[in-house]
Amino acid sequence: MKPDQQISRNALVWIIISMFTLVAPHAGRIPVWVLAVYIFAAIWRIMVFQGRWSFPGRWVKAGLIVSGFAGIYFSYGSLLGLEPTIALLLTAFALKLMELNQRKDGYVLLFLAYFICITEFLFSQELPVVVYSMLNVTLVTTALIAMHRPGEHQFNRKSIRLAAVMLLQALPLMVVLFFLFPRIGPLWSVPLKSHTAKTGVSDFMKPGDISRLGKSDEVAFRVQFEGEIPPQSELYWRGLVMSKLEDGAWRSLRYYDLPPDQRRPRPVQTDGDPLLYQVILEPTQQHWLYSLRYASSPSPGVLASADYVLFSPAELEDERLYKVQTWPGAILEPTLSDWRRELELSLPSTENPRTLALARQLRAEAEDPQAYVDMVLARFTREPFTYSLNPRLLPAENATDAFMFETLTGFCEHYAAAFVLMMRAAGVPARVVAGYQGGEVNPVNRTVLVHQFDAHAWAEVWLEGRGWVRVDPTAAVSPERIEWGLERALAMEGSFLRESPLSLIRYRSVAWVNTLRLRYDALTYRWQLWVIGFDRDQQFQLLNRVFDGISVRKFVLALIGTWILVLVPIAFSLLRGRSRPAESEIQRCYLLFCDKLARAGVIRAPGETPDQFSARAVRSLRSSSGQIERITRLYGELAYRGTSERRAGASASLTELRRLVRGFHPAQG
Amino acid sequence: MQIQALVDNAVAEIGKVLLGKEPQVRLALCCLFARGHLLIEDLPGMGKTTLSHALADVLGLSWKRVQFTSDLLPADILGVSVYNRNDASFSFHPGPIFTQLLLADEINRTTPRTQSALLEAMAESQVTVEGETRALPEPFFVIATQNPIHQSGTYPLPESQLDRFLMRLQLGYPHAHAEREMFMRRQSASSERVVLQQRINLEQLQLIREEVGAVHASDNLLDYLQRLVAYSRTAAEIAVGFSPRGALALLDCARTWAVIQNRGHVVPEDLQMVLPAVASHRLVPSGDFAGDGMALVELMRRNVDVIRA
Repeated sequence: MKPDQQISRNALVWIIISMFTLVAPHAGRIPVWVLAVYIFAAIWRIMVFQGRWSFPGRWVKAGLIVSGFAGIYFSYGSLLGLEPTIALLLTAFALKLMELNQRKDGYVLLFLAYFICITEFLFSQELPVVVYSMLNVTLVTTALIAMHRPGEHQFNRKSIRLAAVMLLQALPLMVVLFFLFPRIGPLWSVPLKSHTAKTGVSDFMKPGDISRLGKSDEVAFRVQFEGEIPPQSELYWRGLVMSKLEDGAWRSLRYYDLPPDQRRPRPVQTDGDPLLYQVILEPTQQHWLYSLRYASSPSPGVLASADYVLFSPAELEDERLYKVQTWPGAILEPTLSDWRRELELSLPSTENPRTLALARQLRAEAEDPQAYVDMVLARFTREPFTYSLNPRLLPAENATDAFMFETLTGFCEHYAAAFVLMMRAAGVPARVVAGYQGGEVNPVNRTVLVHQFDAHAWAEVWLEGRGWVRVDPTAAVSPERIEWGLERALAMEGSFLRESPLSLIRYRSVAWVNTLRLRYDALTYRWQLWVIGFDRDQQFQLLNRVFDGISVRKFVLALIGTWILVLVPIAFSLLRGRSRPAESEIQRCYLLFCDKLARAGVIRAPGETPDQFSARAVRSLRSSSGQIERITRLYGELAYRGTSERRAGASASLTELRRLVRGFHPAQG
Repeated sequence: MQIQALVDNAVAEIGKVLLGKEPQVRLALCCLFARGHLLIEDLPGMGKTTLSHALADVLGLSWKRVQFTSDLLPADILGVSVYNRNDASFSFHPGPIFTQLLLADEINRTTPRTQSALLEAMAESQVTVEGETRALPEPFFVIATQNPIHQSGTYPLPESQLDRFLMRLQLGYPHAHAEREMFMRRQSASSERVVLQQRINLEQLQLIREEVGAVHASDNLLDYLQRLVAYSRTAAEIAVGFSPRGALALLDCARTWAVIQNRGHVVPEDLQMVLPAVASHRLVPSGDFAGDGMALVELMRRNVDVIRA
């Protein structure tokens, strides 16, 4: 093997470093043993480099490949799907290191590395991921450069500078491509992230589900209002309407649970100007979209269900931006269909006998449904109910009875579920609504930040003439929760984010931490809006505006044109830099003199010394011989004489040289 | 002025026995002034031995001559310890290498083993015989002659040993008029050998060396030198370019040449002048290049820009 085909120590170190930084962000998603494969492969390759071991033989390699496949299969139960495929790719990437022998193997490895860098974006396109990926690309490029510098026997950082410069040069092209490159629809379908956990509110609710969310400080979504932000207590983000009680859990209706004529939402009469806002929802792997009531959305791909919540037919695997119009005062379903009424009143009659008896007793005392609602709420306020993130466990049988008469502590889902139960028992149509309540206003960019701990459940009751009315029993028990948010409501208990000691939100009271957190979140919002949200429609609108109508010709011309605009200056500066390293003033003067002679027909050969050239020039340009000889002599003195030899006033003779060369005009021929 | 006159005198003196070879004689002197060993390569009968003898005479150095043959052994050059029966001990009998100027005739006729014994002495200025290190006289020069390597019965010197010689000179056939004069002299002159006068003594040699130390090489010139060296390493025609030692040799010779020209600084002409003698035996042409070292030197001289990169 030629020495320049070998992988030097420096290149090997960079390759191994970049492999580990590439696999790092995937670490939480892949089985632990894949990381062990990386360490194993790196150790083996280092041993080969030190000459202690040899490259693995054919049978060893075959064995490793088979066990890699088997390992992935047993870890995921399948070889298909996004996560197993990527784990397989990462395993192959690690094993390829053990085959890294010559430069051509290095190419395979490093080009694969670029591809692996992209795979991270299948999971997240957040700003930190992008920054980290740029770091990765720099490292991989550094390894690529280091591979082309054979014989570097010590680890060094020379290549990283060059890699950074190269990527900076590529930056303008990246921006151009971002704006111009066609957003091609999926040519192949990306396998579903079947192994990623669903986040946020789920489509059924058992006691304890929402309090589990209450312990997470992740952002659920961000909202930007056009105009005033409504008060905290009005921000009820509806996500799911749960009308069915089954086996002690509330769940929403699936599309095919509804009879065909009930599948579309009833038209709603809207008056006045709507609230306008747009929501950027973090990926949830679920379908529903959050909005205030009553909402309709002009964004494509957003549908409304029969119970007036928005949903997306496709699972939300990436951030999703949608615009919403809301009429808070609109009346929902002023008349209730028989099917609907039956559904919203249905109740398992054998469970929770004490609660049902209480409901019937209270309903008999009340004049009308509205009075009954007030009475039940008053009971929640009067009795010593407490609001807690960690309520006592309820028995599986007659759970609501136990809550209402024994434990008296619960989170919002307990109150909502008990309230709806009492309504239905008394013949008032009612249902549970799950979503988020409240949100933090970021003063930096006036967005409303809704966290997972803002998850909430409340109730809707149907009243004659008023349609569906929101009733929040939690507000009766703990008004702080609605007015000020979860942190205040749990101040006594001290359980707010107790299990995430590192969460920045816990340190809200430290001013600079809070400012930093809110500024960063504003940046994230901008990133999501302008970079992630720049989809095909946005691109189409922008280009249409800029180019005044889009045609394939214009598009291709613009693409090529910008490339030329960016690349030509870079190429030109490279060309200049290559041919002329720093020239001294003396050299410049002399070269100008040579140029003038060249125009007069005497061209300097590269190997000619000044004296030889001067002699030749004098022979063909006799009339200028004096000038030529004087300039040559002066140049010889300036360029080659030592300072001790040179006469005093060397700078004066440089000016003299400049003057002589400027005044030199050789006669043609 | 003094040095130039000295050198002119010496050249004129050598001209008495070697006609029409003034440039080579000057280069040979330059090599010795720069404390380098000299290799003269040419066909038999071209005046190699004559030149080396003349140089020794003109410099007035004590010299010894070794004719290298295929059966010559290292001990024949370095010396041997001989058992002395009277006091029952070994006494060292120094070989011909213990001299100021060693004329190694036809160095490539002997075996590599003997060659390397000589070349070690050239590099270290000392010899080690039977575990005892002995210093060589000061100054110590080697003027070696060799036949072109494609002649039969030769052991070519490897590149590493060629590198030890500061210069390699080729004499070539004399010019027509020099040759005619040679014929004329043979007719007229008596058969006795011409004895040359010493023209440069040791103090003057020392003086020249001091002058060389004071010669200035400007940045512009060093740039040119570096371009030459870099070209020799990167050009496709050259398989092995200048070693750092070779590059230093080039600079030393150019500085010495500047002194011989009575100049206090080096100019590009000095480099170009010594380049063939310093470079031609150091450069190895790559496989698909048809020319020899001299052709490579010409390539370098033509292609490397004197003024700018």
